[in-house]
Amino acid sequence: MGDGHETFEQFRMSFSYGSRNDLNFKFLKSLPDDESAEFFRLLLDALGDAYDTGGLDRLFDVAIDAQIAGYAPKPGDQPPRFLFEDGPCAPLTKPLGESRIGMLTTTGHFMDGDDPAPLGSRGMTQQEAIDNISDLLRAAPVLSEIPADADKADLRVRHGGYDVSSAEIDPNVCFPCDVLIDLRGQGTIGSVAATHFSFPGATSQGRLRKEVASWVERIKQEQVDAMLLVPV
Amino acid sequence: MSVGHVARALEEAGIPTVTVMVKAFQHRAEQMLFPRTLLTRFPMGRPLGAPNDRERQSDVVTTALAMLQAVEEAGAIQHYPHRYRVSAP
Repeated sequence: MGDGHETFEQFRMSFSYGSRNDLNFKFLKSLPDDESAEFFRLLLDALGDAYDTGGLDRLFDVAIDAQIAGYAPKPGDQPPRFLFEDGPCAPLTKPLGESRIGMLTTTGHFMDGDDPAPLGSRGMTQQEAIDNISDLLRAAPVLSEIPADADKADLRVRHGGYDVSSAEIDPNVCFPCDVLIDLRGQGTIGSVAATHFSFPGATSQGRLRKEVASWVERIKQEQVDAMLLVPV
Repeated sequence: MSVGHVARALEEAGIPTVTVMVKAFQHRAEQMLFPRTLLTRFPMGRPLGAPNDRERQSDVVTTALAMLQAVEEAGAIQHYPHRYRVSAP
């Protein structure tokens, strides 16, 4: 931008931790110019339709389709760091209606007063997490424990990799604490684990892999029959 | 994707898992051979549904948990068939 002009590429890149940072649309960084241009055209076209019909379905479809295209692997991408040919698959040993279900999310939820203090910073704000995303991606994750019967007013969320605005309104968009209690009440599941688990998935993958064994030992203490996992 | 490592370790310890994620991450589930995955065509950060849409959130989680009983071999991917939000009209 030395001459004061911004290219279209610079414009779309600015939504990913740049001057126009918007974590809902950071995928524009990975959506080539022509596809990004088409996304904006379709978005405006769908908005025009919405003026007439009041329906938002197409507007959402356009945005979600572009999000999918943005994250999809592209020719020339580096090969995936983790590629598995086979994997374990433990069976559920009792009917779901008799099973104890636990939950682990990568949403970055924690309890007020139990701040995992990423980078040694207690009370880090969401904006500070966004500003420090590069350092967070190199740091070891801390697994937070959240009592299943916790008062939601004491639940906090912070994650430098996604827009937490919906989660701040209602944790159940990605941390289904109330949903599991509802399902227990309906008899869909037998019981809910006493403790849920969460960490911000934007973390060092190497350091995470070193932590996982101890996390499993901790989760075993919950005597769950199965775990619901929710990444963001 | 961080949760893939967790899923693998839990399954190896004999604890079955099911993962719900937005469809944008489908390739991660395939590459890491997640045991059981339910994909939602929802915006990132809201894999279970919109804020306060308890009916949709509950249906997504119920659909996912049903995979615990139905799936016995890793790599199962199911697509949640409904929209993020029911909008009027």
